[in-house]
Amino acid sequence: MTQHSYEIALALGILSPLVSFWILVFFGPRLGKPASGWVGVILGMGVPLALATYVLLGWYGNDVETRAQLTANAFRYHWADLGSVPATIGVKLDSLTVAMYFMVTFVAFWIFVFSVGYMAGHSDEVDHQSKYHRFFAYLSLFGFSMLGLVVSNSLLFLFIFWELVGLCSYLLIGFYFDRAYASRAAIKAFVTNRVGDFGFLIGLMLVYFQLGTLDLDQAAAKFAEQYAAGTGLFASNYTLFGWSLATIMGIGLFCGAMGKSAQFPLHVWLPDAMAGPTPVSALIHAATMVAAGVYLVARVFRLMTPDALMFIATIGCLTLFLMSLIAIVQTDIKKCLAYSTLSQLGYMIFGMGCGAWIAALFHLITHAFFKAMLFLGSGQVIEGCHHEQDMRKMGGLIKKMPVTAYTFLIGVLAIAGFGIPGTQLGLGGFFSKDEILAVAYVRAFEWTDYTRHDSHDSHNSHGGHAAMGTEQTSREFRLVSDPPSTPHSAEMPAKHGEFGKASIFKNTPPLPKWMFMLAIITAYVTPFYMMRCWWMTFMGKPRDHHVYEHAHESPLMFWPLIVLAAGTIYSSYYLFRPMISDASLTATAAPLVLAVDGAAHNPAINTAHRWLVFGVGLAFLVGFGVAIGIYMHGLALAERIRRSVWPLHTLLEHKYYFDEVYEIVWVKGCIGLAKVCRFIDTWFVDLIFNITASATERLAAFSGLILDNQGVDGFVNGVSDASMTFSDYIRGPQTGRIRNYVLFAAAAATIVLVVLLIYTAQSGGDAVVTASAVTE
Amino acid sequence: MTITLSHYLFVSAILFASGLFTMMTKRNAIGILIGVELVLNSAGVNVVAFDRYLGPGRLDGQLTALFVIVLAAAEAALAVGICINVYKNLSTVDVDTAARLQG
Repeated sequence: MTQHSYEIALALGILSPLVSFWILVFFGPRLGKPASGWVGVILGMGVPLALATYVLLGWYGNDVETRAQLTANAFRYHWADLGSVPATIGVKLDSLTVAMYFMVTFVAFWIFVFSVGYMAGHSDEVDHQSKYHRFFAYLSLFGFSMLGLVVSNSLLFLFIFWELVGLCSYLLIGFYFDRAYASRAAIKAFVTNRVGDFGFLIGLMLVYFQLGTLDLDQAAAKFAEQYAAGTGLFASNYTLFGWSLATIMGIGLFCGAMGKSAQFPLHVWLPDAMAGPTPVSALIHAATMVAAGVYLVARVFRLMTPDALMFIATIGCLTLFLMSLIAIVQTDIKKCLAYSTLSQLGYMIFGMGCGAWIAALFHLITHAFFKAMLFLGSGQVIEGCHHEQDMRKMGGLIKKMPVTAYTFLIGVLAIAGFGIPGTQLGLGGFFSKDEILAVAYVRAFEWTDYTRHDSHDSHNSHGGHAAMGTEQTSREFRLVSDPPSTPHSAEMPAKHGEFGKASIFKNTPPLPKWMFMLAIITAYVTPFYMMRCWWMTFMGKPRDHHVYEHAHESPLMFWPLIVLAAGTIYSSYYLFRPMISDASLTATAAPLVLAVDGAAHNPAINTAHRWLVFGVGLAFLVGFGVAIGIYMHGLALAERIRRSVWPLHTLLEHKYYFDEVYEIVWVKGCIGLAKVCRFIDTWFVDLIFNITASATERLAAFSGLILDNQGVDGFVNGVSDASMTFSDYIRGPQTGRIRNYVLFAAAAATIVLVVLLIYTAQSGGDAVVTASAVTE
Repeated sequence: MTITLSHYLFVSAILFASGLFTMMTKRNAIGILIGVELVLNSAGVNVVAFDRYLGPGRLDGQLTALFVIVLAAAEAALAVGICINVYKNLSTVDVDTAARLQG
């Protein structure tokens, strides 16, 4: 495949959902119920999936050098100039893009298929028209935005698509907008995201003004340059809370990720977002859009400073721990999954903050598969149980919906990190979570050792990394410390080593130990709440016979489950891990990533790792055991435990009172501010208007009632009235009878004659003669 | 007894008065027309009489009388035409009935 065929394939894959969107907008109502869904499936995601597969297969055939070449020569079109900064449209063509693109299209395609069945019974009407086609139009628009986001190579377009996915999320959460809770959840999601995006904008502006480019690669190069020279972002005269401008920029960009990936303290919108239809929860609020935040951090990783990364790690760590605890007490099946998503996103962000770039993205992809599947399974359950979401009313459903139950179990195993330590057997979560924890361990405990080690012999750690990129089979127990023999390895470590000397990361501090501890504890909590969720839903005795008797499975909806379950198993270590590892060579160029990844897998440095593998790998046994032990005989034991730790339970049930605090601080604050504004408006601004208005009104009344009605109209009416009256008078004699006219004429002539005669008699005799002369 | 101007004027006045009276009292259009002829002829008698007594040797009065006769003939022709048309439309020549144009 040539350079262009990759780029064109990716671009067509983005445009196809957009075409589908327009078709559904204009012709959706005419296409009707199943047809518009299939348009969405085929045009909206089928075509992109086919293209993504084509690109992925082509990409697999390339060696590392060809890939680097393709990345470097990627298409850039000079679109416009923003001041002196060019805005370019282009494709970010690297392994990460290809892997993400494939993951998004694959997961989305099966969710689209699922939706065709699911939405048939879940799309209400507006204006006597089903919203079915509308749903697929929104999903197609989302497909367009998300793929655009993945492919963008410039921060500007990243931001544009970022906002577009936010819009789609808003539209789809508020899909049932005539129900108050759904529209409120949509607004909450949108507003919370605005808070994060405000930070993102600040970051973007700093990039724009200080780095003078919005292109990711150029910005990274400029960033490194400024660091080396100590100018621009690193000039010491700009500091805030002891942070340099560069750190502020990094944190600003991360704020966008905090909003979209629902990180603490902006996590509040994600659980509410479950008000949307279940396929939306699976696609947008579990697999793809919420992971976009992690993807963003991965893309701007080269613009991060150690302080910014520490901030990211702290936020991620708090999220993963706090949210996993809330998940324990949830009774709504979708809410439970939502909190587990939050916790897993926390893992990814935490991994990013630790420098576990590869592991975090790997976790993103494995998580997308199993969490999409879990949500679709929950959709199947909700559909089967007639819109019942409360797990306390379920139980024993395994007999009624076996396919759902077993695929759900695979998801539970994957998220719990099921695997057999010491072998290559395990599901996605096992490897990805273990890797994050391994890196966290290195950062927390072995960091001093590592830095000394690095300064003496930088080849060792990088060699470890290169081995990861090429030899997938050597994992924990066969880690390579001797230099590998692949063609690129000779120059790559040297290049990174060189860059490493001037690297911004050379002063990276060790990670606080409590962060690592929280992550480990959460690794034990996760299997517990997931098993609890599964057991309450599918095992035990049916608790509500009404729900149980109606439960059923629908075939169109369980095929996607099976496919995604297969994807969950296969995506574990062999498909995506090498791709991401490969991407780290060009997309990060940060020695921290390579160093920690190498160190984490190097038994010479990280002796504790093998114990960690067992510790994490067996966590699922402990978690599952406790969960099954508690819920085996119904809810009675859980109820007893709940009563004994009621303060904690209440705290968790109210989600640490975040919503309440936000309600008081932000919502009430906003309302208070609005009231003050209203006061000013009423008593100052409106007053002027009111005075002016009433003066105008009176003037108008005067001019209308008096001047116009009585003056102008009076004159005109008077003229017409007068002529009417006069006409009436002179109309009287006009009888139309000739005899009368003759009489009048004769009478008049007689009167004239009489007057003339009298006049003549008075003035002398000549008058008659004169009159006769006149007649003659 | 010599016949003076006053005799002519007296005859003429009688003619005029009876013509006027006819015009005022008749409802039949033909009757009114006859009244008009009487009035015109009284004027003709007057004119000829004035010519004979006040300006002898001149033909002005005679000529004017001829004009009056011609006028009367033309007027009679017109008026009878109108009467026929009225009769065609209304089946009568009563002038009170033909009041359609009255405002």
